Amino acid sequence: MWNTIFPYLLTGISVGGQYALIAIGYTMVYGILRLINFAHGDVFMVAGIVMVYMAASGMPLWLCIPLVLIVTALVGFLIERIAYKPLRNAPRMSAMISAIGVSYTLQNLVLYITGGLNQLYPTIPWISDSVTIFGATTKMVTVVTPVLTILLVVALVALINHTKIGMAMRAVSRDFETSQLMGIKINSVISITFVIGTFLAGVASVLYFTNYTTVIQTSGAMPGLKAFVAAVFGGIGSIPGAVVGAFIIGIAENIIKGLDIILFKLGVIAAPIGLATFSDAFTFALLIVILAVKPTGLFGEKTTDKV
Amino acid sequence: MNNSLNKKKADSATIISAVIVLLIYVAVFVAEQFIAPTSMLFTVLKKGATYALVAVSMNLLNGFTGIFSLGQAGFMLIGAYTYGVFTIPVAERLNVYQYYNGGLVQFVLPWFVAMLLAGLVAAFFAFLIGMPVLRLKSDYLAIASLGFAEIIRAVMQWDKLGPITNGSNMLRLFPAFNDFNIKNADGQVVVYLSTLIPMLIAGLCIGVIILLINSTFGRALKAIRDDEIAAEAMGIRLASHKRLAFCISSFFAGVGGAMLAMYQTTVQAKGFTTAMTYEILLIVVIGGIGSVTGSCLSSFLFVAASEWWLRFLDQKQMIGDFEVPLLRNGFRLVVFSIIIMIVVLFFRKGIMGTKELPDLIRGIGKKNKKGATAK
Amino acid sequence: MSENVLHIEHLTMRFGGVVAVNDLSMDINQGEIVALIGPNGAGKTTAFNMVTGVYQPTEGRISLLGRDITGKRPDEITKLGVARTFQNIRLFSSMTVFDNVLTAHHLRRTSNFLTATFRLNMAEEKKMRAETERLLREVGLWELRDEQATSLPYGKQRLLEIARALATEPQLLLLDEPAAGMNPQETEELGEFIKEIKDKFHLTVFLIEHHMNLVMGISDRIYVIDFGKQIAEGTPAQVQDDPAVIAAYLGVDEEEGVQ
Repeated sequence: MWNTIFPYLLTGISVGGQYALIAIGYTMVYGILRLINFAHGDVFMVAGIVMVYMAASGMPLWLCIPLVLIVTALVGFLIERIAYKPLRNAPRMSAMISAIGVSYTLQNLVLYITGGLNQLYPTIPWISDSVTIFGATTKMVTVVTPVLTILLVVALVALINHTKIGMAMRAVSRDFETSQLMGIKINSVISITFVIGTFLAGVASVLYFTNYTTVIQTSGAMPGLKAFVAAVFGGIGSIPGAVVGAFIIGIAENIIKGLDIILFKLGVIAAPIGLATFSDAFTFALLIVILAVKPTGLFGEKTTDKV
Repeated sequence: MNNSLNKKKADSATIISAVIVLLIYVAVFVAEQFIAPTSMLFTVLKKGATYALVAVSMNLLNGFTGIFSLGQAGFMLIGAYTYGVFTIPVAERLNVYQYYNGGLVQFVLPWFVAMLLAGLVAAFFAFLIGMPVLRLKSDYLAIASLGFAEIIRAVMQWDKLGPITNGSNMLRLFPAFNDFNIKNADGQVVVYLSTLIPMLIAGLCIGVIILLINSTFGRALKAIRDDEIAAEAMGIRLASHKRLAFCISSFFAGVGGAMLAMYQTTVQAKGFTTAMTYEILLIVVIGGIGSVTGSCLSSFLFVAASEWWLRFLDQKQMIGDFEVPLLRNGFRLVVFSIIIMIVVLFFRKGIMGTKELPDLIRGIGKKNKKGATAK
Repeated sequence: MSENVLHIEHLTMRFGGVVAVNDLSMDINQGEIVALIGPNGAGKTTAFNMVTGVYQPTEGRISLLGRDITGKRPDEITKLGVARTFQNIRLFSSMTVFDNVLTAHHLRRTSNFLTATFRLNMAEEKKMRAETERLLREVGLWELRDEQATSLPYGKQRLLEIARALATEPQLLLLDEPAAGMNPQETEELGEFIKEIKDKFHLTVFLIEHHMNLVMGISDRIYVIDFGKQIAEGTPAQVQDDPAVIAAYLGVDEEEGVQ
């Protein structure tokens, strides 16, 4: 029983960690701009593509990884400056549409560059190695991901709670206008938020694509959506919420992938019934349920509209 | 007195608009008889009509009711499948449902009944999903409706539903647009209607949506868009009106899905991705959020540009001995994306803003009058 | 004694730890003009929002014409005969003046979306339009009917809000600071106007207002609240002389004067 479930659980925790790193970008941006950055998943994909091309150019991997992270952060910074900043005073729908436009643009750009073919992700030593824990064989990255995720989240929370820039971020997310009046440089705070968010998405891309081995222009769409769902699930704007939500979704999704086999071994069903089809759908069903029951998510704050 | 005068002028602008639309239909009919049916023009008109209907249905929600929904692809999928499932000829079912012994459904509905049913089934799902989803605020609603579309896509591909949906396999061999052509006994086409009829269906549906928008219910929807709290204070029940808009929009998205199936001649669930919804949303934005005319224009422009006018960008082009750089597969979409971003960032009102065709005509009328008095 | 229109008992509203309205009770009778006054943040608008169903009261009961309306939705309450205007004007910004008022007739429709879409409700539509015309003439906005609602000057927007509220055929009209932003002359005209429409449409009027001249001039009775609690009730003369009111309220009168 345990032997059947454990591999799925392990993958789930690992994927959950990767989602968590992406989800943080969503939740931080939403916290500050009240914007669903639909392009965030695509930035994650772009990070993967950049890695593919850098490695192909013959650059050593130890140099590629930090460079990829820097380039990704730069992409995030530029997207904000070009596509969101001009719309800061426009209706919220405009910024959301712009985000969808950016997502569309990034996918098409990558389609053009790659010719729409699957790109093989470089094999990164050590984290690509096989490892056996509790009888389950997996890649080292599976084990590394949750540890790295937790470390990064702790560092981020420390940054937000104990530094000046973190204080500015908290202030801006609490009240945009007032913090502006108080002399906080809104634009730099927003830029830094995007840089941090996309940097973490870059880290996630290294981990994720090491596991999945190929990248294509649509690779970011699904992980992006799921990470966003995780952010909503945890209560959007809340970093711990996003992390918890991401782990729950990652685990649930992978358990469902193996549910046919698990149920079969438990004797609940006599033949596979194709439940794996629903591994993506489950995430969204969970989203709709949580929104219906507790629209502000697990850790979200309640707000009242002023009339 | 003054008001009745006002009314008259409005009427004439509307009549002129109707005449323009009628002339377009006549032109399409004539063109279809004389131009080779393989011309890109007809591809554009067929697909454009389909997209126009779906875009207008999305505009009814996003533009006129202020509900930012991203579930359009899901409702199109329901419509396309409903149409396909009920119109594949019984004789072909063993062929199509080859892994499911010909499937469960062993009868056929006439195409227009199936199309109506496609809309109704989509509307029914909208009714169900609307209960939890419509209570949500803007962005949450967007993401929940998007999630719903993904759920539908997964459910449709579920192996256990295979006897009905054919699982993850294609539905095909159902009546398509080309079957509208009237043939003689020898199988030769006598009258070409394969473009005109889709355009008529789309036109009819869009006409109904326009009537709704200009009715007391349409005004109530706009009131909700402008200010929910004020609308509610004026006795407009938010939940029921939003649900109405959601169901009607989904009905027409369902019909649009059926049309898309007819256009493509095959249907497969995996094609109805969020990317499709995004594409339709971008069409609505380019046309102008809150303008039916804009959505129609922009659908045809969008399809024409992507399927026809910008095709050359995807191939190597030589000017004399000089090879134009950058041109290769995919460049068209890059150019396209950039155009879209420019519209989104700098021309936020799109082509039409919130204006309609009669408004344009009225505008021209006014200008002429001003010119006349100036002289 | 005339019929009771609005009966409020022990109404309380808490937002987290803050008590916005505390144990408020009041009665308004048919044909009266009753004012609710108090310093800024005293809970006046919160009280309005509870009467109109925007907020669900934490405790207490509200009844309209003897019928319990506590916890009903805003649109239900409007249908039962309560209409309101807003402190920070909330017109339908994309619509013309005419359509703003026309839209407010929607709640009395007998048509459904099908009959309305296919124009089987022409008689009703005509009636709605005629009523709209009558109302707009009444408030003197007929000439401006084709203007964008939000392009009107401030004072006219307030009038339009009242016209729109009247279109819902209310018994009780709630006015939330109708004279805000008006000059003394406009304010005086507004006072006359309120009395006029009260008689013409057989209304009962419940208003929140800071302009003391207006309040004292047209109100039959006044309720004074401070920190969510009622501190006085009576005719304008009685309230003006009440020491509690002078202490709590008139202290900020200078500030109001500056406004």
